Amino acid sequence: MLFNSYQFILGFLPVTLAIFYIFGRFSRTSALRWLIFASLVFYAWWRLLNVAIILPSILINFLLAQRLQRLGVDESNRRASKLTLIAGIAFNVAFLGYFKYTNFLAGAINDAFGTHFILTHIILPLGISFITFQKIAFLIDVHGKRIEPFTFGDYALFVLFFPQLIAGPIVHYREVMPQFRRASCRFNGTDMCVGLTMFFFGLFKKVFLADGIAPFVSPIYERAAHGDPVSVLPALMGAVGFTLQIYFDFSGYSDMAIGIARLFGVRLPLNFDSPLKASSIIDYWLRWHITLTRFLTAYIYNPLLLWLTRRRLARGRPALGGRNVTFGAFLNLLALPTILTMFISGLWHGAGYTFIIWGLLHGVFLSINHGWRLLKAKLRPAQAKHDQSGGIAGFVLTFAIVSIAMVFFRAPTLKGASVILAGMVGVHGIGLPASIFEHLGPLANLLQRTRVGRETWWSAVNFAWLTAWTSLALGIALLCPNSSQLLAHYEPALGVRPTDQEQRGAFARLAWSPSLKWALAVAAVAAAAILRFGGPSEFLYWQF
Amino acid sequence: MTAGEVLKSFTQILRDLLGDDSIVLSPSTRRIDVSGWDSFNYVNFVVAVEMKFGVKFGVAEVESFQTVGEIVQRTLALLQASPR
Repeated sequence: MLFNSYQFILGFLPVTLAIFYIFGRFSRTSALRWLIFASLVFYAWWRLLNVAIILPSILINFLLAQRLQRLGVDESNRRASKLTLIAGIAFNVAFLGYFKYTNFLAGAINDAFGTHFILTHIILPLGISFITFQKIAFLIDVHGKRIEPFTFGDYALFVLFFPQLIAGPIVHYREVMPQFRRASCRFNGTDMCVGLTMFFFGLFKKVFLADGIAPFVSPIYERAAHGDPVSVLPALMGAVGFTLQIYFDFSGYSDMAIGIARLFGVRLPLNFDSPLKASSIIDYWLRWHITLTRFLTAYIYNPLLLWLTRRRLARGRPALGGRNVTFGAFLNLLALPTILTMFISGLWHGAGYTFIIWGLLHGVFLSINHGWRLLKAKLRPAQAKHDQSGGIAGFVLTFAIVSIAMVFFRAPTLKGASVILAGMVGVHGIGLPASIFEHLGPLANLLQRTRVGRETWWSAVNFAWLTAWTSLALGIALLCPNSSQLLAHYEPALGVRPTDQEQRGAFARLAWSPSLKWALAVAAVAAAAILRFGGPSEFLYWQF
Repeated sequence: MTAGEVLKSFTQILRDLLGDDSIVLSPSTRRIDVSGWDSFNYVNFVVAVEMKFGVKFGVAEVESFQTVGEIVQRTLALLQASPR
């Protein structure tokens, strides 16, 4: 059941919510139990088997976590506690690995050694990548003594809570559980208004904008996947168009998840903060899929950096201090952990070479950005501290490299990605849709002489629609405040408060309020989205 | 070893690390209070402390320390648990 379906909006959500409020009148426990049950129904809707796969994994994780909690009481159990943690992480990684990577691995071995392992059809349980990360984080947090005592119900609710079940935001136990314990489980007017507004903003982003662009981006990638040449214009527009599509698709989904959770009185963490406005790639990753970045930083990058630093200092080599940065230290303590972390991120997104390259590219981009900062600090220590923004040039460069990397994210094969990239730099020439030529008169001859080709596969209508959708989406992504900025006064996501900038000028005038004016605006946005319902339209991130 | 002695030792470690002899740490000092004490130098500092005192912090602990005083207390606790 997709968030953007009549089933969900008119059936599942209102029924679940109404019964939740009714139970809430009697007791919080019963309302929360109902929420667990409803979440299971939501998950089972696709395939009953999904539940049969996930429930045992929840039970095993719960038992391991309980054991960790008991062992944590006494310092003398540190070894046993560590072993339990390692076993738990190994179980989850193996669980994910079996469903997600068996075929990729077998295929890669076949490619490399000419073997003939048979690829079996393994069905990927929905959202398993997200669920697995969340479970691993929980085990590490219990081991680190950051979790108060918990019951099976607490744990099941934390994992299964349906707004964030399939594709995040990736939440920490310690940020949602206190909210469930305090939740009134009753109707609350403000929560209802804020939640519905976020939900409909997200629905609009997904159904209107992302699904609006998608049909005009797909033919370009399909052509490239067949190995047929793509010239500059469609290649560039395909890359930028998809970057906008995935931004509105995934941030739209995240807004919807955040909005739905709020209807139940729970605030989820912010996942997107206008990442396409970023002026450096470091800045970009602090604003794109924020909950993944913080997961990777806390549970992969930081432990790796600590381990590498210990090893390096124990050998008497220079570390990565602010003043005496050596190239060796940069490679070992910055580039290595960064690239490795982003490699894991790439692999986590999808079992394929294209995702691995996407991750590695971002690892290299981030390393260069960090290296540049260190260099600046060394050359001009006084200036560098205050000047972390990359300005206009930084914005253009960031947008360009993000779009280039996105080609690997979208293209189904390396071959397809290379066709688009080659097209972007002009290997396949400059071309315009053939039908446009017919309307150009004498100009057509001139263009022909300057070697502008005719793209017979690309219709002028497609070209025009892609231009229109891309311009609209680009304008909204770069010039408008985002949904959580509009609602900043109502803490739409955990910890989101209006910044100084947002309390003045145009931001202040645009600030959302529970008023008739905004009710009409939100209704218009919702109608624009709902009128475009039709056909299957999955969220891009639900495949992971 | 007392908290004061550990703190003095910490101050010396950070002065050497950042090359700034004007640094004076107190239990309530936070990272942002000291110029140049960025995230890399924080990890360097923690590892230098580990080496100096022969202790080892957990990853979660390293992330959760808010003030210098918390690192001092944890170091003392670890020293008591396993005297050198």
